[in-house]
Parts: sequence; structure tokens; C-alpha cells
Amino acid sequence: MKKNNAPFSVTRNLLGNEKRQAVTIPLLAILLSLIAVSVVILAVGNDPLAVFKSLLQGSGLLPKASYAAKKSMLTDFLSLLNALTPMLFAALAVAIAFKAGLFNIGVSGQMLAAGFVASIVIGYSALGPWLAKPLVILIGLTVGGAVGLLIGFLKHRFNINEVVSSIMLNYIILYVSTFFINTNFVDPVSRQSRYISSASRLTLTDLAVGELKMDIPLGLLLALLTALALKFLLDKTKTGYELKAVGVNRKAAKYAGMAVGRNIMLAMFISGMLAGLAGVTYYLGFYSSIQPRVLTSVGFDAIAVSLLGNSSPIGVIFASFLISVVTKGSTYMSSAVGVEQEIASVIVGLILLFSACGVYIRYLTARSRDRLREQTATAEGAAPAAAVSEKGGDE
Amino acid sequence: MDDQRQEEYIVEMRHITKRFPGVVANDDVSISIRKGEIFALLGENGAGKSTLMSMLFGMYEPDEGEIIIRGKPERVGSPSMATRLNIGMVHQHFKLVSNYTVAENIILGVEPKKRALGLLPQVDIAQARRRVSELSRKYGLEVDPDQLIEDANVSTQQRVEILKMLYREAEILIFDEPTAVLTPQEIQFLLQIIRELQKGGKTIILITHKLEEIKQVADRCAVLCRGRLVDVLEVAEASTKAMANLMVGREVSFQREKPAPDFGAEVLRVERLCVNNSDGFPVVKDVSFAIRAGEIFAIAGVSGNGQTELADAVAGVLRPAGGRVWLNGRDITAASVRAHALAGISYIPEDRQSCGLILDFDLAENLALKRYYQPPFCKQGVLDHQQFVAYGERLIEEYDIRSGQGGRTVVRSMSGGNQQKAIVAREIDLGSPLMIFVQPTRGLDIGAIENIQNQIIAERGKGRAVLLISLELDEIMSLADTIGVIYNGQLQSIAPADSLTALQVGEFMMGVKSDEEK
Repeated sequence: MKKNNAPFSVTRNLLGNEKRQAVTIPLLAILLSLIAVSVVILAVGNDPLAVFKSLLQGSGLLPKASYAAKKSMLTDFLSLLNALTPMLFAALAVAIAFKAGLFNIGVSGQMLAAGFVASIVIGYSALGPWLAKPLVILIGLTVGGAVGLLIGFLKHRFNINEVVSSIMLNYIILYVSTFFINTNFVDPVSRQSRYISSASRLTLTDLAVGELKMDIPLGLLLALLTALALKFLLDKTKTGYELKAVGVNRKAAKYAGMAVGRNIMLAMFISGMLAGLAGVTYYLGFYSSIQPRVLTSVGFDAIAVSLLGNSSPIGVIFASFLISVVTKGSTYMSSAVGVEQEIASVIVGLILLFSACGVYIRYLTARSRDRLREQTATAEGAAPAAAVSEKGGDE
Repeated sequence: MDDQRQEEYIVEMRHITKRFPGVVANDDVSISIRKGEIFALLGENGAGKSTLMSMLFGMYEPDEGEIIIRGKPERVGSPSMATRLNIGMVHQHFKLVSNYTVAENIILGVEPKKRALGLLPQVDIAQARRRVSELSRKYGLEVDPDQLIEDANVSTQQRVEILKMLYREAEILIFDEPTAVLTPQEIQFLLQIIRELQKGGKTIILITHKLEEIKQVADRCAVLCRGRLVDVLEVAEASTKAMANLMVGREVSFQREKPAPDFGAEVLRVERLCVNNSDGFPVVKDVSFAIRAGEIFAIAGVSGNGQTELADAVAGVLRPAGGRVWLNGRDITAASVRAHALAGISYIPEDRQSCGLILDFDLAENLALKRYYQPPFCKQGVLDHQQFVAYGERLIEEYDIRSGQGGRTVVRSMSGGNQQKAIVAREIDLGSPLMIFVQPTRGLDIGAIENIQNQIIAERGKGRAVLLISLELDEIMSLADTIGVIYNGQLQSIAPADSLTALQVGEFMMGVKSDEEK
């Protein structure tokens, strides 16, 4: 067994202690996936470095060779942030549910519900921006929260698995909203829902700043503040302690006197509200209309982003930034380097695949560390006999 | 010489050392087992007994040392290699498929095959049943080959495990703590079976920490303490006391010092309590009793007769289907779990790992699990981690809870004994007038049992009412002031402990009614 030790000791030293591993392991996952992607790109006959460079250029992190009129690296970067905003909200929605031991696979449906209701109530109204924008956010919170709460209630009251009910609700929301869009709100030319008023849109579009026309996502600041608030909630409050307890051991939480059902409903309510914010910043921000009969992939990508970010609010910020860079930069990548845009999905897929392996990597490093500790103990002649009775080696 | 030794020792384990992360489970252990003897391995939890036998059964490989079977050095790399060497093992936790029948479980992996229409291979279940019945007759192991495992009781399941070994023609039979789950009567029956197996020419290795069993059946006994072999004794010549001292490595007292009772006012009153399990099936039926301050009220009974549900109902975790629970004169039947705790109930549940602790939380967070929502831990919904740490440190110190990194230790990595100490510390420190202990010492070693039993007595001395639910008759006899015996969800008898003998309690446990109720 000892011979296995050498390679692990290298990774162990690189990855650091458990606390640092929350950062180093996702980084390792990203590195490994970039290597794997490079192989794929080489296999289809392209230069991986050029591809990666074009992704960064497309998302405004590196300068392009030339820009269209009124565009620059800054405008590219702002449109990246515009795409990032709903992704961040959606990933936070998944993460908070994860923390409470719940799997909210219905974020996309909750986004659509919030986006649809906000569009028809505020988006088509004549309200001014100072009134319309806060109301859009409020409706996003309410509608998303209501759907989340319903899922939590079904789980608490009737023990219906949240995965099943949220997938079912995804369909219900999709087809109900499609029906109303097609019958009442359709734009005959685009075959999508009619464009919402710019007063209600959460992204300021084509804002002329000097020479440039830029998109400014107003929701981003809110998303970042929400992430910080969630971190505070989970780490520092009684509610967070209860949510985490319910998440890892529902039974023990009950024995400790926590209201398990209430916490499940609360977690789904918060998750739904965050999904609702993702919905309004997506349909009334990044876009300004709803394509009927299509459920956005943002809510599903968010599951993976949340995993990559270790379900921690701060980790999720970085993870959603990274994934947004890849998805947002892919358009430019395919035109500049000439690889298919689907390569972006391959990259995202591989990053997530390797990040899912993070648990295994963590296990390997923990094992090799324990081995090392024990070898040192033996070498120092410190009789670990006491440890035997303590750790219970034979049970 | 070589031939003779081959004759004499069927298994030799020489200079075995096995390390686990942070632990040396076996340190240069050498044992030799004669053909046809009952060889006991005695030691506390964590002494390395199971590890040693797991290596013989191929579940682990030793880091150092060699294993010699029938005179030949062998590498036992897997349980199936062990099976080929005619070694069988009954694990502490049975490894059976619950929705398969007895016969199907026994043949699993070595199914007799036949070919339907001379072509399609299929399991010859008729032959399997025949062979299972043959074996069970031969060794007096009564089973119904067609019974589903989920319908079989624990002792039947154990017989199935034994038959599994015999079906695989095992000659060397390893039993890992076989009596931990059995009633006194069932234990006697099992020991009888073990003697039968010995007469049938099998070699038996018995892992246990119960001295009486060794005294009853074993020929020789190896004592392990903290991973090291302390001694190998001829059981007939050794006293129980001497074996216990060797096992623990110090003097052990079996008698608990219990001061004379000083009962106060009634603390808990349970009236005609009925509880249903999750399937709506009544498991506690019409149970009434009362506990006074300073009294240890013990409920004896065979596992699965409603004890867990009774405790859960009193603590508020299960909503009773009928009846009333009064604490200090207040009706708390319908109150929430938290309201029960606040009314003055401390509860040490049976399943410490899934109900008593949150294994992924650290020790300090677990120690505050019943108090986190109150000041000073929580003010206006915000937690003060300093308070968690300080409180954790105090309890760790006061109750001698041992862990790798103090309050920061993730509870999952702690030993069972220290996990239980943590729960007991947390619950005692609440200072509740009623303490419910369910199986407080299950699976713990003698040192930890002594510690926890002494704490129960100390709580009694402080004037707390104690409800003790235990499957260990010895524990009940040595701690209880009053004993209620539960059978099939009903209290068979309630009587002062000094008016009962262990034998009488054992009879009530098997469903015999008390005289006055006949």
C-alpha cells in the first residue's frame, strides 16, 4: 500500500489542507478539464491556445483584433456580466437547496414562471422605470418563491420528492406560459412574446457612454449582494445552522427539536425566490422577450455551476463567472477560430465532469495525509496505542 | 515435527501488524488455533479483535506478518479466497438480502444450477432447499427455507448466516460478537449450536467482549488490549475477574456503587399511552407508569417490543395515538419536540449516529445542538461562534470527551464511545428533571460503559428522574430502582428492582404475565 503514496503526496502538497482544498480542488478540476479539452480541440484539428484566447476575447477579457462601431473590450465584458447575472442567481438557488439537502432541478421552470408573470404584468404596462424595475424584481421574488414554496410544501406535507414535483412543475409552467404567449402575447414576426417596455427591463441596453454603446446589467450588484447575504445566512445565523442540520441529517435535526418541515419549506422558498430573480434578470434583462415552448438551460447549467462552486455562495460567484466566460465567448470563438460553437458545451461539460470528481480527489488526499501522519507517528516511536482505543480500529 | 504441527494448529497468525490511518489496530499479534477447538478472542471495542479476524477472512491484508493455514503459508486476498480455504465468518451486522428467502440467501453466489430443456441455465431452487434442510437438521439450526429474511427475526437471521458458512463447507467458523443482538434465552441456544458445531469437527473462533460466554463454551482465549496480544489463557483455569482485568489493562469493578434511594415528587406520569409506528401499526399499547425524582425506572425487554417508540413518544418525537404524558404536572402530550425539551426532558436516543448527532458537524456544534437557539449562543437570530467553542471546551473537559482536534473535530471521525459521551454530556448539561436513556451503553467497551453508568447513577443522586431503556439485563439489574418489562408493546409488570431476579425479568421479557395479572 505504501507504494501508492508518492503521487498522492505531491497532490496533497499542492492541494493544501481541507480549508484550502475548497479552492484548490475546483482549480485542479478546471486545469484537468482544460487539458482534456485541448486534446479534443487538437483532435478536431485546431489550436487549443487559439481557442482559449478567442473565448477570453469574446467575453471581453482580452482585446480583440478589431471592434465594430461603438463596441470595445468593455462592452464585451459588460455583456458577459449581463449573461452572468441570471446564471449567478440560478446557481445560488441550487446551492441553497443543496445546503438543505434538497435538489431544486426546477430552477428553469421557476425562472420562466417569474419571467412570464413579470412580463405580462409589468413588461407590457406603461409604468415608468422607477416604478417598473422594483416591481419586476418584487414579482420575480414572489412568483419564484411561491413555486418553490409549493414544492417544499408538497415535500413536507405529502412526502413528494422535490425532484419529481419540480420536474412536473417545469412542464406545467412551460406549457401554461406557452399557451398564453401564443394566444395573447405573441409577436407575429419573431414568434416570441412581444418585447417588454424598456422601462421594465433590468438591463440598460445600448446606453450611449462616450463613443460606446453598452449594456449595463442592473441586477448584477443585487446578485453579488445576495451571495454575500446567503453566506452570512448559512454561516452566521440560527436559520443557516438549522438549514444545514436538516440538510445533512433530517432525523437528528428533528430529535434536536428543529422544525424540519418548516426548514424544508423555507429552503425551497428561498431557492424559488432566487430562481425568480434569475428569471426576471434573464427574460426581462438579458433578453426582453420569452421564446415559447423552450425551457432555458440556465437552470440546469446552474446545478453544475453550483457543484463546481462547492455549493458555497462565494464559490458559486467564481464558478458562474467561469462558465459564463465559456458560454458567452463561444460565439466569437466559432467565428474567429472556426471551431464549432458546441465545443463550448464540451468545455463546460468537462469542467463539470472533473469538478464532480472533486469529492474523490478530496478523499484521496485525506487518505494519503492520514497515511503520512501515521508514518511520522510510527517513525517517531510515539506509541499510537492510545489512538487505537480512541478511534476504534476494529469496529 | 512438521506433520504433527500441521495436525495441531489449523490456523496460525504470526507477527501480524495492521495499521489504519492514525491507528495501529494490530501490533505484532501472534495466535495459533488448534483444529476442533473453540477459541475466543477477548478485548474491548477497538482492541483489534475484528480487524485480526477480518484479515483471516481476507477483508484486509496484514501490513506485516504471515498467515498459515493447515501448515501452509497463504495469502488471503479476499473473502472468496477465504471461502476456498474453508473459512467462514458471521459478521456483527448480517449481510443478507432482505427480500430474498432463507434458502435463496444461503445459496447466493454458489447457486446450484440446472438446465431447463437441457439448455437454459437456471438456479435449481429445489435442490437448494433440499440441501438447506439437510444442513439445518444436521446441526440443529432450525429455519424455514421459504421464509423471507425481512419476516425472520434476528436469531433466525443469525442461523441463516451460520448455514451460509456451512453450505460453503467452512471448517473454520468465525463469529463476530454473535450475541450482541440476542436475548438471554437466544444466547443460550446459540452457545448450544456452537457446541454442536464443535462436535461436528468445526474449528470455531469467537470474537466477544462478554466474559460469561467465553467461560461457558470456549477452550482457550486470547486477550487483546489496544491492538496488542496480552495473553492466551486456558479458559478452565482462568477466573472471569482475571480475564476482565487483562482485557481492560486495569482493575475493573463490576458492581456499581449505588447509594440508597431518596425518591422525591413524581416527575413523569404516562397514562394509557398508545403509539403507532410509521405504518400505522400499534407498537406501544396502553402503557402507564410514573417516575419519581431520584428514581431510575428501567424498561427491560427484547429488542423491537416498542421500546424505541415509547421513548420517542415520551420525548415528543413521535405523536402518540392515544394516552397522556405529564411532566411535573403539566400535560405535554401534544407539545412539539422542542417544547418537550424545554419542559425539562433530556433524551439520549437509541440510534446515536443518526438521531443523536449530526456526524458532519463538528463536536462544538453538536454539543450545542440543544441550545444553539438560545442566548448566549444566538442573539437576534445571529450565532456567536465564540460561545460554541467555549461551551464545547467546557463540556469536553468536564466529561472527558476525547477527540483529535477538540471542538473542531468532525464528529464522524470520533469513536463510538466518545460520540456517546458527547451526547450524554450535552443532555446531562441541560439539567433536565427527566433524563431518558435508550441503550446508553450499546456497543461500548467496558471503560466507557463504566463511565456512562456511573453518570446515570450520579444523575439519580442529583434528584433527576431517569427513564432507562436497555436490552442488557445486567445493566438493568445493576442500575434500576424500579423495573417495568415490556413485551409486544405492553408493560408486563412493574415492580421494585430488589423484588425481582434476573431470571424472572427474563421470563417477563419472553411474554410470561406477572402473577397478579394472570
